[in-house]
Formats: sequence, structure tokens, C-alpha cells
Amino acid sequence: MERSDVRSFYILAAFLVCAYALPFVIGVQSGTVHATERWFAYLTTVVLSGVLQGGVYAMFAVGLTLIFGVMRIINAAHGEMVMMGAYLTWVCFFYLGLNPLLSMVLTLPIAFLFGMALQKLLLHAVVGQPELTALLVTFGFGLVMIYVAELIFTTDFRTIPFAPATIQISRRIAISQNKLISFVMAVAISAGVYLFLKLSRLGKAIRATALNAEVAMVCGIDVRRIYLITTGLGVALAVAGGALVSIQFGFNPETGIVYTLQAFAIIILGGRGHYVGALIGGLMLAVLESLVSLMIPNGTAMVELAAYALMISVLLIRPGGLMGVKES
Amino acid sequence: MIRALAAAFVALLVLGGGSAWAGHRLNNEVLIGGAISMTGQYAEPAGRQVNSIKLWVDEVNARGGLLGHKISLRLLDDKSDIQTAIKLYEKLITEDKVDLVLCPYSSGITEAVANVTERYKMPFVAYGAASSPIWEKGRRYIFNIVAIAEDYQKGAVHLAKQIGVTKIAIIGQDSLFPRQAGKGAKDWAKKLGIDVVLEENYPTKQTDFTALLQKIKAAGAEAVISNSYFADSAAQLRQMRELNVNFKLFSSTVGPGLPNFPEQLGATAEYVLGFSQWEPLPHILKHTGMKEYIDAYEKRFNEKPNYHAGGAWGALQVTEAAVKKAGGFDSEKLREAMATIEVNSAFGRYKVDAKGMNSHEGITFQILRGQRRVVWPEKWAETKAELPMPEWGKR
Repeated sequence: MERSDVRSFYILAAFLVCAYALPFVIGVQSGTVHATERWFAYLTTVVLSGVLQGGVYAMFAVGLTLIFGVMRIINAAHGEMVMMGAYLTWVCFFYLGLNPLLSMVLTLPIAFLFGMALQKLLLHAVVGQPELTALLVTFGFGLVMIYVAELIFTTDFRTIPFAPATIQISRRIAISQNKLISFVMAVAISAGVYLFLKLSRLGKAIRATALNAEVAMVCGIDVRRIYLITTGLGVALAVAGGALVSIQFGFNPETGIVYTLQAFAIIILGGRGHYVGALIGGLMLAVLESLVSLMIPNGTAMVELAAYALMISVLLIRPGGLMGVKES
Repeated sequence: MIRALAAAFVALLVLGGGSAWAGHRLNNEVLIGGAISMTGQYAEPAGRQVNSIKLWVDEVNARGGLLGHKISLRLLDDKSDIQTAIKLYEKLITEDKVDLVLCPYSSGITEAVANVTERYKMPFVAYGAASSPIWEKGRRYIFNIVAIAEDYQKGAVHLAKQIGVTKIAIIGQDSLFPRQAGKGAKDWAKKLGIDVVLEENYPTKQTDFTALLQKIKAAGAEAVISNSYFADSAAQLRQMRELNVNFKLFSSTVGPGLPNFPEQLGATAEYVLGFSQWEPLPHILKHTGMKEYIDAYEKRFNEKPNYHAGGAWGALQVTEAAVKKAGGFDSEKLREAMATIEVNSAFGRYKVDAKGMNSHEGITFQILRGQRRVVWPEKWAETKAELPMPEWGKR
């Protein structure tokens, strides 16, 4: 690392410490923080739940960062693909009677093929074009997905009643079963993808393409095939994310945008194109959101403000993100 | 000559646009029009209002029409979109020259459309809007019929008082209607001597309420007044159960009133309080003509009318009475009639104050064994509220 890079890392770290301390400071001042065993139990519940949530966010952010890293395409329809995952899971649950976790065996290959088709028909045309072109194309595609979903499923909210039990850790600390299941699945899937990229030949080819597509091509890597697989994998990760959020929260065709924005914030925080960075970013974002909501008066209304303030600050201090390297 | 013709033309335009009158139409018809959400997020409640509108038009025509004029109905779709609604009302009033306007659905769209109808002096009874700020801007041609947002939680706060709750939390979505409902709940709590220990709004697309629920607990609240729609109130309840967070009372403004709420949530929806403007219970509410309306509606649409449908019907009855009192469709006379008339409709009594606001009384119900049962006010209660809510572990 260069010296300036190291310095910006430390500045960012210092800033983050302050950012996470701020809710506590405001909480103490406004009397929402109490030094009682009971209150610490509430805090623990909230932080735990934030960590569990962050794991799931991170997983679909990995999909976004993968597509960006390899093709420099910002997929603005990523959240809509999460939404698609939620609906696929819903259809499997209510029409085929499939367990939402089992249904991934069916939905992930579908998502992979969908991603490949998308790459072939739409994204191939914008690889290598200015980033804005890809952004506009995927944004438009996201709108098409929303309207198609509205046509098929209407705008009604859907929920999937799966694993609604409570896991009581201590007398006062509890987490919900579906959150824990989602987290475990998300970590397993993310770890699988990470190992695939690190160890397998194909994974190495994907990383090589991400580093430099031309050199990869010279070395005999079929870059177009790599692009197909990358988009397939990215969409599959989004759909898996959709399956995991669908068992926790209600959704309708318009919920995708929330997840797109969250994934953006996470990869900016963690570092674009960086997989471990996305995991760290996901956890950090979810925990910060929880802390702001718990301690700042009317903080729940400020959760989004806090998330984007964090994102902008990171962009100002260290544009490459926490784990990212300086872009040339 | 040309100048005279131009003057005549302008005069015609002014007359035609300014005071619409039924006699100018073919077949002696009267044209009634409005834009309402047939698609988009408001399609469900608005669709029920359209049912009542169609029923009313056919019934009036079968009786020989409005002051002897047959009604011709022009309904357009605003796609649940404010800008579209504004354009369509401009078109209805200036191009189609409707004699009477119907109102749109939702406070947001009504607030925007009221600026158009006000400009053209077209009076109407707004059955699709419950936010009182609409009537606090000195508007003269819009009249309220339904209970206002500030009263949605009145019953819940009274019930909280009855079971000895001393500390409540008021939470709600960060938008116009829930904020007004929260303001009203706070005022009622103050009047009844209940301490509001937490007030919090959340963004419209919030899905995770874990931190907020812990915060409510940490603040020591015994009951939650949630000014929420379907998705958010459902998420709050699910997460309360999943995290084993218990309150003595939970009340939501809109969600529990929708038929699919108990269906989708199952046992989790039990004991929840909700608000309704009106219920199809003629033996309890005893409003004039209620039974006849409910029977006619059920016969035609194979379901009982809900409060959206009932409100629209009541407003149309008021409109009809006002037209009769005004003796025509002159907008000033009609406005005067709507402002002064007293009508006992199937929806309840209509008599507005100087601001144009009615004082409709709503109903608080509780979901008990999958059914909505009226529990407040006492004069209309079908059953006694089962409160405090049992803990999740003991159900």
C-alpha cells in the first residue's frame, strides 16, 4: 500500500469509530441509554439482529460487486432481482408447497440461466461502454421487472410464514429463528462463492478477467463466457438474497429499490469489486442502522440518513472504500 | 363584426366553463365525472368506492334521474398518481364540462385535486380523504364526510385507559396521514392522562423493526399505538412474536381493517385493535337506509360493502340531497347546499361546520378468532375487548 493509501485507511477507521460512538453519545445526552442490565440486553438483541441482517445484505451485495468488478457494469436492477427471488420463493412455497430453503435448489439455477440470458441479450452490448450507459440500461430493465411483477402479482404485499419461532438466548435476549436461518445460509453461500473464486480454475479466470480483461483474453480465457457466468452468478446471489429476505419481511414489486440502495451503500463502504469488503460493509451498515434506531430520539426516521451520510463520508475520505485500493 | 363574434365566442366560453348547467346536454342528461384509482396502489379501496358509485348511478336512473335528468357517468383512471389525477380533473372540468365532480381516493391525491376543483368552483363531498389539513387552507368547495385521521386512534387510547395503561408509545410511518393520526393519538393520551414515553416515525419502506421494538420496551411503554398501513403493521406484529416482545395493547390504523390482514397473519393478528369508518352492521349502527344499501351492494357485487364503499355511498346520498335542495347544478347554489344541509345517510349523519368538516364517529374493532368485532365506542360494541393481549408464550 502507498503511504497516502495507508493514511486514508486510518482516517476512515477513526471516522468510523466516531460514527459508531455518535449514537451512544446522543443516547446518553437524551436519556435513551440506561446503564442497566436490562438495557444492555436490549442493546445486545439489537446488535445481534443487526449482524444477522448484515450477513444477508452482504450476500446480495457480493453479487453486485462481482458484476461490477468483472465488467464495470453497475447493475441498477439488482434490487429487482432480489425482489424476483422473493416472488420465486413465494410461488414455490404457495403453489408447489416447497420449503423456502429447499426451493433454492430450483430457483438458483433458474436465476443463473436468467442472468446468462440477460448478459447475452442486453449486457454484452454495454460491456466496455461508459459506465453510465450500463447504469441506464439496467435501470430501465429494473423498471420493466417491476411492471411485469405488478402485472402478474399486483401491488399487494406478500409474506411467507416460515420459521416464525423465537430463539431465546437468555431471559431477556432473543433472536428470531428465520433471521438466524437466513444468516447461516447467507454466510454459507457467500463462503462458497468466495472459495469458488479463490480456488477453482474458473474462479481464478473470473478474477483474472476482473483484473484485466485484455490480458486475460491474451492468456486464452474466453472472456465472453466469463461474463456470462459472472452475471449468472451475480443474479443467483441476488435471488438467493431474495429468498432469505422473503422469509423475514413482506415484499411487493416495489421493494427492490430498497435493496439496490442498500447493496450500493455496502459496496461503496466495503470497496467496489472487493468480496470481503462487501461482507464487512454489510455488517457495518446493518449494525449502524440498528444503533441509530435504538438510541437516537426519532432515530428510526434517520436510519436512511445515517446510512447515506456514512456512504458519502466514505466516498470523501477514501473513495475506494474500506478494503478497496486506489483506482488508477 | 369579427370583434362582436369573438366577444360572443368568449362569452360562450366563459358561460360554458364557469357555470355548467345540465340543460345543455343531449337527451337532457346530466354528466357526472371523476378520476379514481382503478390501477396502482390504491386500486383496492378505490375499487370498492367505484362499486358504490355505479350502484348509486343505476339506482338514481331507475328512480327517474337527478331532478329528472338521467345521469351519464364518466370515470377515469388516475393510476394512483397525483399528477395524472390533476390532469384528468382539468380535462373533466374544462373539456368534458361535467356538471358534478366525484372525488379521488387518498388524502394525497385529494389535496392536490382540491386545488383544481377550487379554481373552477366545483363543490364535492370528499369520501376518499381523512387528513384534516386539507380543510385548513380556507378552501370553500370541498366537504368532509369521514372521520379524520386524528380520531383513528381515539378508541384505542380510550381502551388503553380502561385497562390501566399509563405509558404508551406512538409510532408511525413518516407520511401525512400516519403523522396526523399520531398527533391525534397524542392529544387523546394527554386528555386521558396517559404518558407518551416514545414518539417515533420510520421511513415508508422500513421492513426491520427489531431496534424500534427494543427501543419501545426500553422506554417502558405498555401499549403501542402504531399509525401504519398493511406492510408495516404486519411486519411489526410478526417481529413482536419472533422476538417475544409483549405489550398489553397494539393498535394499527389501516392494516387490520383490510380483509387479507387476518388471512395472511393468521394467529399473529389476534387481539390487535384496528379502526374502521363504518361496518356493514345495520343492527348495531342503525343508520337510515343502511340495510337496503348493504343488501343491494351484496346482491350486485357478492360481498358486503366495506367502509370505503359505505363512505362513498353516504357522500353520494348527501350530493343527491344537496342537488335537490339547490334545485339545479349551479355550483354556487350547490356549494351553499352542501355547506348547510343535514342528511342522515346510510354512512351516518352529515352536517359540516364552517370549515366544511363533518364530525363522523368511527369504530374501533378487535380481531378475535379471525373476525373483526366492534369493541368501541360502547354504544356500538358487539363484544367486550379482550385486553390486555395475552403474552405470545401463553397463546
